Amino acid sequence: MRAMKRAALATTLGVAVTALTSCSAQTKHEWKNLAMPDPGTEEAWLIFDFWRWSWVALMIVGIITWALMFWAVWAYRRRSANDVPVQTRYNLPLEIFYTIVPVIMIVVMFFHTVKIQNEVTALSDDYTTKIAVTAQQWNWTFNYMDEEVGEGQNIYNYGTASYIPTLVLPVDEKIRFELHSPDVIHSFWITGFLYKEDVIPGKVNEFEVTPNVIGEFKGKCAELCGASHARMLFNVEVVSREDYDAYLADQVAKGYVSDEPLLGQEYTRVPAGPSQESDDGGHE
Amino acid sequence: MTTTAPQHATTEGRKPLGQHFYKLLTTTDHKLIGKMYLVTSFAWFLIGGVMALVMRSELAFPGKQVVSDETFNQLFTMHGTIMLLLFATPLFFGFGNVIMPLQIGAPDVAFPRLNMLSYWFFLFGGLIAASGFLTPSGAASFGWFAYVPLSDAVRSPGVGGDLWIMGLWLGGLGTILGAVNFITTIICMRAPGMTMFRMPIFTWNALITSLLVIIIFPILAAALLALEADRALGAHVFDTAHGGPILWQHLFWFFGHPEVYVIALPFFGIVSEILPVFSRKPIFGYVGLVGATLGIAMLSVAVWAHHMFVTGSIDLTFFSGMTMLIAVPTGVKFFNWIGTMWGGSVSMDTPMLWSIGFLTTFLFGGLTGIILASPPLDFHVSDSYFVVAHFHYVVFGTVVFAMFAGFYFWWPKMTGRMLDERLGKIHFWLLFFGFHTTFLVQHWLGVEGMPRRYSDYLPEDGFTFLNQFSTVGSFLLALSMLPFAINVYKSARGPLVGVDDPWGWGRSLEWATSCPPPRHNFHTLPRIRSESPAFDLHHPEIAALEEGERYEGSAVR
Repeated sequence: MRAMKRAALATTLGVAVTALTSCSAQTKHEWKNLAMPDPGTEEAWLIFDFWRWSWVALMIVGIITWALMFWAVWAYRRRSANDVPVQTRYNLPLEIFYTIVPVIMIVVMFFHTVKIQNEVTALSDDYTTKIAVTAQQWNWTFNYMDEEVGEGQNIYNYGTASYIPTLVLPVDEKIRFELHSPDVIHSFWITGFLYKEDVIPGKVNEFEVTPNVIGEFKGKCAELCGASHARMLFNVEVVSREDYDAYLADQVAKGYVSDEPLLGQEYTRVPAGPSQESDDGGHE
Repeated sequence: MTTTAPQHATTEGRKPLGQHFYKLLTTTDHKLIGKMYLVTSFAWFLIGGVMALVMRSELAFPGKQVVSDETFNQLFTMHGTIMLLLFATPLFFGFGNVIMPLQIGAPDVAFPRLNMLSYWFFLFGGLIAASGFLTPSGAASFGWFAYVPLSDAVRSPGVGGDLWIMGLWLGGLGTILGAVNFITTIICMRAPGMTMFRMPIFTWNALITSLLVIIIFPILAAALLALEADRALGAHVFDTAHGGPILWQHLFWFFGHPEVYVIALPFFGIVSEILPVFSRKPIFGYVGLVGATLGIAMLSVAVWAHHMFVTGSIDLTFFSGMTMLIAVPTGVKFFNWIGTMWGGSVSMDTPMLWSIGFLTTFLFGGLTGIILASPPLDFHVSDSYFVVAHFHYVVFGTVVFAMFAGFYFWWPKMTGRMLDERLGKIHFWLLFFGFHTTFLVQHWLGVEGMPRRYSDYLPEDGFTFLNQFSTVGSFLLALSMLPFAINVYKSARGPLVGVDDPWGWGRSLEWATSCPPPRHNFHTLPRIRSESPAFDLHHPEIAALEEGERYEGSAVR
């Protein structure tokens, strides 16, 4: 009976390992980071390091607690039907100990949380590129404002129901994102940047990142925004400054330019009255 | 519906169906109302579970196979609504009604007719909320937290949304009235000798949960009515022009986060009742445990905005700190539970097995909770499948595991008959493996970049394998309901237990009356001189030993 159980366990483990190792190279790579995408920005590296060390600390706590639990179940299993254990009710020093220790651990975690959160949410004035993102049901518009290539005009790119747009970013430069929504709440998430921020109508959220890896990333809407929420995708390409300028020049040549950034209506009132004729840029 | 009726039929043969029906409609007996709550909420659990299976089927492959995008949105909206507000919350009222008056030696709850009204409000509120599926435009599809402006009359014009709002409002009123009833009962109707600090932990948790309910459900009711006023009357409470989207989130989560503790604390209570009985030891650190529960309840109303870390509209530091602090009283509870088993005589009967399943599962949910409490880590995984996995570990780990623990533990008290141990263990292991297969891999899906509430994904996203793994697990999980159903059927035809305490080492007062108890619960009440009156009654030799020690201790002092 016991041998059969062991054989069954071995088979199960074998199948599981085969299933896990037969994945693609990409999956294997993610397996190395325990599914975390490789960080694509300076800020994401801070988050990634903190993520790893937090997990180390938490798994130590978890393993100790699980071990105590299973040890208690096993070591104090009933040996005879007439067992009468000592009726212990309190152990005050022990109780104080296991109240204080978690407090100390929380303080350490909190200290690092505040430090890293201040670094990744900080806004500066030395960004080189400012991009106004408009999230609308159910697509994205990217406005490259104040670019020299645009000669005072706004360069844009947008997605449609059959076209997933690409957001092109220069590498090693600080980029400021401004998030606008003309309709409902969306959330702007570039998965490789390990960061997202909600796009809220009537409010402009801003954040900065410095991409430091040339490559392609995936972008998604992460806040439920209606029927086609799952189709509100975009791609991100981080390229060199030359390629970035070339891309913008190409957009200009194709005629993707406007006087003002495309931000949609300022907001939609409830209930739908006569539509407020927007002039696109009522925020600033 | 097997659990409600049979006990009344045992002595006088089978009553006609009409009489059963009349009895259900008119009863004010807390035990019967409790069973009606349990059966109704369990039915909602099955309905919500079927919705989950449909969603998991859709997600097994990239592309659309089973349901449309809009239907998918309706499914997860109603799945969340049903599981939180029509299953877990009324399940608390089910266990509370069936067990709490017995534990304090009361003949019934303080307001039996109000109790009955609460149940009917819950039933009809739930039916109204779910009846959206019968309308041409379908049920509500804006997610169970109904963020404006998506839930306004422009973006979600269907009547399903209105039914959802008003149904939850009515059900919520039932919840508030039920909580008032419990608080009054526990404060005013304890038996002689049953001081506050001799109450069983489950009763303590029922009291603290009820207090939380009357703090938060009125906020939900007000917010829902304001939302309906916006939709139906053209009010502008949540107008975007003056920050309505963020206002709604604050109001909703001020309700929504403590609601998580409303559905967790009673189930912590159930586990705290079971561990001592099957370890043959009193609960370890009773006062500390009560203090920890109060601490969790107090902190829970100061952490709501951790659901809003990515809105850019809140004080990250404050809400992060308060949220992390919750780990401290929760940790205290964990070590008290372990301390209860430590040095005991642990027997893995089914209720104990389910309780250990709860400890194992909930611990991991707690750890990922600390990750989410840290804003820089939350920025990446917020609104992803990581969060879905986290809250299923927390909520399913607590509510469902402890619910079955409570069922197997109190089944003889409720029906007079035992559930089968072997079927119970098959049930447990199927559900345990099904659950972890379904939800463990969802952590990785979220970290890899799969947002929650996505009805579809691209083949090149690389989410396919993990989604399929999860889907297989969900069907295994569903399969585990079969042994339970067989068990219930078998038990209804089994022999009566015929004793007050079939487990032999029950501690709290419900084990000092018959199974099932008489109409007003007790023919005689035992002396209540500790937090374990039934134990003192049935094991006087051990109680006397302890009493002696206590006297010796005081003499030394």
